[in-house]
Amino acid sequence: MAQTPPRPTPCTTDPDTAGFWAAAQQEQLVVLTCRQCRSVVHLPRPRCTQCGSEEMEWTVVSGRGHLYSHTVVYHQIHPAFPVPYTVVLVSLEEYPEVRYTGYLPGAPDLVAGVAMNVFFESLDGVSLPNWRSA
Amino acid sequence: MTPVPGERASGTGCSIVGVGTTEYSRASGRTALALATEASLRALDDAGIKAAEVDGIVRCTDDVVLHNDLIETLALPNVEFWAHGGLGGTAPSAMIGYAVNAIRSGSAKVVLAYRSLNGRSGRRVGAGYGSQQAVVAGGEEGGRYDEYFLPYGLTTAGQMYALIAQRHMTEFGTTREQLGHIAMTCRRNAQSNPAAQMYGRPMTMDDYFNARMISSPLGLFDYSLETDGACAVVVTSTEQGRDSKTAPIAIAAVAQGGSAGVQAGRTLSSLMRKDLLTFPSHLVAENLYRRANLGPSDIDVAQLYDCFTITVLVQLEDYGFCVKGEGGPFAASGALDTTLPINTSGGHLSEAYMHGMNHVVEGVRQLRGESTRPVPGAEVCLVSSGAPPATSAMILTVDR
Repeated sequence: MAQTPPRPTPCTTDPDTAGFWAAAQQEQLVVLTCRQCRSVVHLPRPRCTQCGSEEMEWTVVSGRGHLYSHTVVYHQIHPAFPVPYTVVLVSLEEYPEVRYTGYLPGAPDLVAGVAMNVFFESLDGVSLPNWRSA
Repeated sequence: MTPVPGERASGTGCSIVGVGTTEYSRASGRTALALATEASLRALDDAGIKAAEVDGIVRCTDDVVLHNDLIETLALPNVEFWAHGGLGGTAPSAMIGYAVNAIRSGSAKVVLAYRSLNGRSGRRVGAGYGSQQAVVAGGEEGGRYDEYFLPYGLTTAGQMYALIAQRHMTEFGTTREQLGHIAMTCRRNAQSNPAAQMYGRPMTMDDYFNARMISSPLGLFDYSLETDGACAVVVTSTEQGRDSKTAPIAIAAVAQGGSAGVQAGRTLSSLMRKDLLTFPSHLVAENLYRRANLGPSDIDVAQLYDCFTITVLVQLEDYGFCVKGEGGPFAASGALDTTLPINTSGGHLSEAYMHGMNHVVEGVRQLRGESTRPVPGAEVCLVSSGAPPATSAMILTVDR
């Protein structure tokens, strides 16, 4: 069996999303919010999609959430992810309309709505927010 | 123009006058250009129009064949209009719309729209994104925001649709068996279509359930068929079309629809929209029905974009054939074989994955009475293009 290559690492230098990865490096989970109208902008954009302000800031959240959806991948596609593995979408406790993605090896027993907690794993020096059952 | 209540709007004044396809296969052994050329020549022959008369070309943004390439292989002497439009599966109806606009504005008289791909033997659509190690950044590269997805093993459209299907099941109680009915309808329709990849391979519900899981809750037969092949369509004014070899099929209306909140990019970023279970198809439907002065109850037959079974199920809701959340029971009710026949050539699930263009071709054949699975008396056909990003659709009618 061929050796599993490392998982792809995220780009952490994009002007619109770098703050997310900088916070993750400090083991903090953040969402982009507007200083003017306090709206959450997710995915991050260069301006507030509600009021048009360009004064945006990263707001720290608790890292608690609930399972929104999940899939167990059984068909091997990307060589860095041996099957089976599970992709989760987690809805944040403070901002339920904001979802982040997580990766779990194997096929753990998961039911929509279960409490999930963020944790941070290191991928080739990049701190990656990930999720597991609370 | 304000439509008269209760009457079909006068339409775009343009028609599809020729359709052509290549063989559908898993290994064409030919270039996408050769396939596009063959499909185009067949469409022109179908219309009874000489290639030299083509003065406009519309290409899908993702096609490897350029308009310039076809100008050479078809030996076109004077092309005055070309357009590149639409992402993958969201493109085909919009592409017909560009042709209509070009004709109406006087930019062209005979417009060829095509989609050609070695989708099985060449670059497989199902291979998804991120085969490279570095992840494309945020707002660059078409708003893909890969960094939020690829490091987590979320790399394909199928996995994205699996997450959508799972959520639909959670919120509305949708079942795999209901999805199976969509797959079964397409497979049954393919049994009368010798050109379909699944011709001669009927399927039972047991077969559906016994197939291997790909990305739960979606199994093998919830997925469409990566295919080598090409489709082409010729559009002219309806007036000009009445002189062509076959009856013109009128383009009653074409609509596109996008709005803030749908999310940027083309695929995976859609998972971050607030309402994951409503596609922009909902907005397209509003625009389309308004323009055509028609509603869901006027649709005799529908060719619904079916990259996956769940894609059809959500569109049944978005195009107003049932209320949101009822797509599952509707699919299981038998309606897809009776009151709302869908994907009469077999669709992506059982004919071929031509990125939505075979749905256009089948819409035309159906209204001409040339479908291998004819719907008696059908005069109005909905053709939808892909999801989940901003997309397009159209309504075809018989010319009367």
